[in-house]
Amino acid sequence: MSAADTTASGSGQDETGCNYRHLYLIAEHDEGRPLPVTFEMLGEARRLMDDFNSNYSSYEKVVAVVLGDNVKKICEELIFYGADAVIRVDHPTLRYPINAVDTKIISQVASNSGYASKISPEYGKEFRKPRFMFFSADNVGRHLSATVLAELESGLASDINKLVIGDLEIRHEHKTKGQALKYEKILQMYRPDFSGFLWTTILCLDNRNPTIKREYHPQACSIIPGVFSPIPRNTSREGLIVDHILDTHGADKQVKILSRKVIKSAVDYDGRKTVLSFGRGIGDSPEENIKLVVELAKELGAEIGVSLPISKKPYSIPEPLSSQYLTPDRVIGTSGRKVSPALYIAVGVSGAMQHIAGMKDSGFVVAINPDEEAPIKDECDIFIKGKAEVVIPQLLAELRRQKALEVQR
Amino acid sequence: MSSHLKIAVIVKLEPDFSEGNVSYNSDGTLNRAETKSILGPHSAIASSAAFFAKVKYGAEITVATMGPPVADVALRQAQLISDADFLHLYSDRIFSGADTLATAEVLKFGIGKIEGPEEVDIVFSGHRASDGETGQTGPQTAWKLGYTFLGNVIGYDIDLEKRVVVARRLISLQGTSDIIEEVEANLPVFITVDPSYKSFFSTISQRLASAKYQQEAENRVQNYKNHLKIFNAQQLGVDPSLVGLPGSPTIVYKVEKIPKAGASRRALIVDGSDSLQLSTVAEKMLSITKVDIGQ
Repeated sequence: MSAADTTASGSGQDETGCNYRHLYLIAEHDEGRPLPVTFEMLGEARRLMDDFNSNYSSYEKVVAVVLGDNVKKICEELIFYGADAVIRVDHPTLRYPINAVDTKIISQVASNSGYASKISPEYGKEFRKPRFMFFSADNVGRHLSATVLAELESGLASDINKLVIGDLEIRHEHKTKGQALKYEKILQMYRPDFSGFLWTTILCLDNRNPTIKREYHPQACSIIPGVFSPIPRNTSREGLIVDHILDTHGADKQVKILSRKVIKSAVDYDGRKTVLSFGRGIGDSPEENIKLVVELAKELGAEIGVSLPISKKPYSIPEPLSSQYLTPDRVIGTSGRKVSPALYIAVGVSGAMQHIAGMKDSGFVVAINPDEEAPIKDECDIFIKGKAEVVIPQLLAELRRQKALEVQR
Repeated sequence: MSSHLKIAVIVKLEPDFSEGNVSYNSDGTLNRAETKSILGPHSAIASSAAFFAKVKYGAEITVATMGPPVADVALRQAQLISDADFLHLYSDRIFSGADTLATAEVLKFGIGKIEGPEEVDIVFSGHRASDGETGQTGPQTAWKLGYTFLGNVIGYDIDLEKRVVVARRLISLQGTSDIIEEVEANLPVFITVDPSYKSFFSTISQRLASAKYQQEAENRVQNYKNHLKIFNAQQLGVDPSLVGLPGSPTIVYKVEKIPKAGASRRALIVDGSDSLQLSTVAEKMLSITKVDIGQ
């Protein structure tokens, strides 16, 4: 199982190894209904592997892995949206995801050379593990990616929003012992940092340094839902479906699901026409400004959102304001919710990429910000130049005046 | 509380994002050199989840972290929250630069060093670090330990006789309604605590116990070093090639500023002190939202 004790494959000439082939992605669904991120991952996988195969004159596949109860129908859809093959694990016990169970199954499936041979006979014999692996960066996929890659003993980057495959010359103290070496077919995984202003490129690389030689495959990542586009559904696409028969003998009884209840989130964005968010720009007098934001939201029937830095409780303000508004469950952006209200108002939000990703599909966007250089300016329809404490009271007065006029009419 | 419950909490020293302590560069990125460090907010929540078990089940608690010697600050802050009995610092120069897999390797050996004949029943960790934000270290440590992993836990109860935990998990997925899932798992388990976790002490005896342990915690942190044990790589018994930079499959290849995307909207610029212009904005807002009149 361990990649640790193997030396470079075969003659050692092909340093990237021919034991690692294809792109495997873990399809997510809600009791048989694929989540949008599944099609988004497939779209990106299709684009990447089409380029990969033409650049490297190869025939590597996009393989979707789906676990669930009664998931026949999904498999066809996965093929229509870009999969060359689907490995299906269909069993009544798999109705809902359970990390411990799914991790074992996915690790087995991903290391199964028999399936790889069926999917692509030309690469089957030497197959040990996938070359690349995609998961969704959500409540299920984030943890699953971590445990699967711990089991497969390879590297993982989380929350990716851009991917490039290519050859790189690497000089690294540990990986190459300081020598410049060429690495082929490397997945460059871009992740925005918490500020939303920096992009970090993560690579998963074999250790070529003779003293710590080790192969790290698959190169894996979790992908932020909502960033990649699916390819158009094409019902003439064909693909192979391979069944993995679940060995329920000695099945994992460690975890038992007792109940599942749908809840209405305390913070409800979907039911509102307006979402009003605030960011660090309210920092001159946070308590007063948050009160103003709350008042404005009330006037417009809006739900309140925040930028990521606000969720880290940057201000000490009295309760209940602090625990009501400076919280992670109000974050709009890639590490929070994605909203698309008819009206989005951003107060003191600079417009980091990770925030924009969460609101860019809004109907009409108004920003209140004193800094005309703030990136939010390029993402709004009306930019009110000014500080929150100056603008909001006037806006409130205007809204109330116009509403009163309307009543009189 | 005859049956014994043994708990570990994994915490992390992180940048302090509170105003006055955090420092941003002019381009909006974090100025790490000028920013202070504290116990991460998610680590603090994990510590309070452990404290719940102390109050309710009389659990014995060890708080652990991997980091440089200054990371003992995080342990001290976590002790104040959890009334931890023991503090563990896993510190060695060779641990630095570790990615999540290499960090999990150290933490696995660290948890194994917690004393006593019985193994640890529950390991808690935070949802994610507020600087790295990967959320991978917890589940990877769980897997290496061979513990059942339960993520996004918002509350839990333990049956000490049957050695099982019943945990409530919050699951929210793209385009679906949020779900609260109740699961039962045999101990030992590894729990990452959801940001929305809150402890409830429902009985008077629990509230009294809570006050007693809080007082004990305040006394303990006065001399927290008496509770602190520091382990280096050799003492932990880790394989040096599996930790730190050599043990990390991933590297950071480059860090760049995210290029400004082209403008996706063309903004009309309004002077925020001009009430006439703001009147037009208000009108536009009302026309979009069609807020019920007189509300």
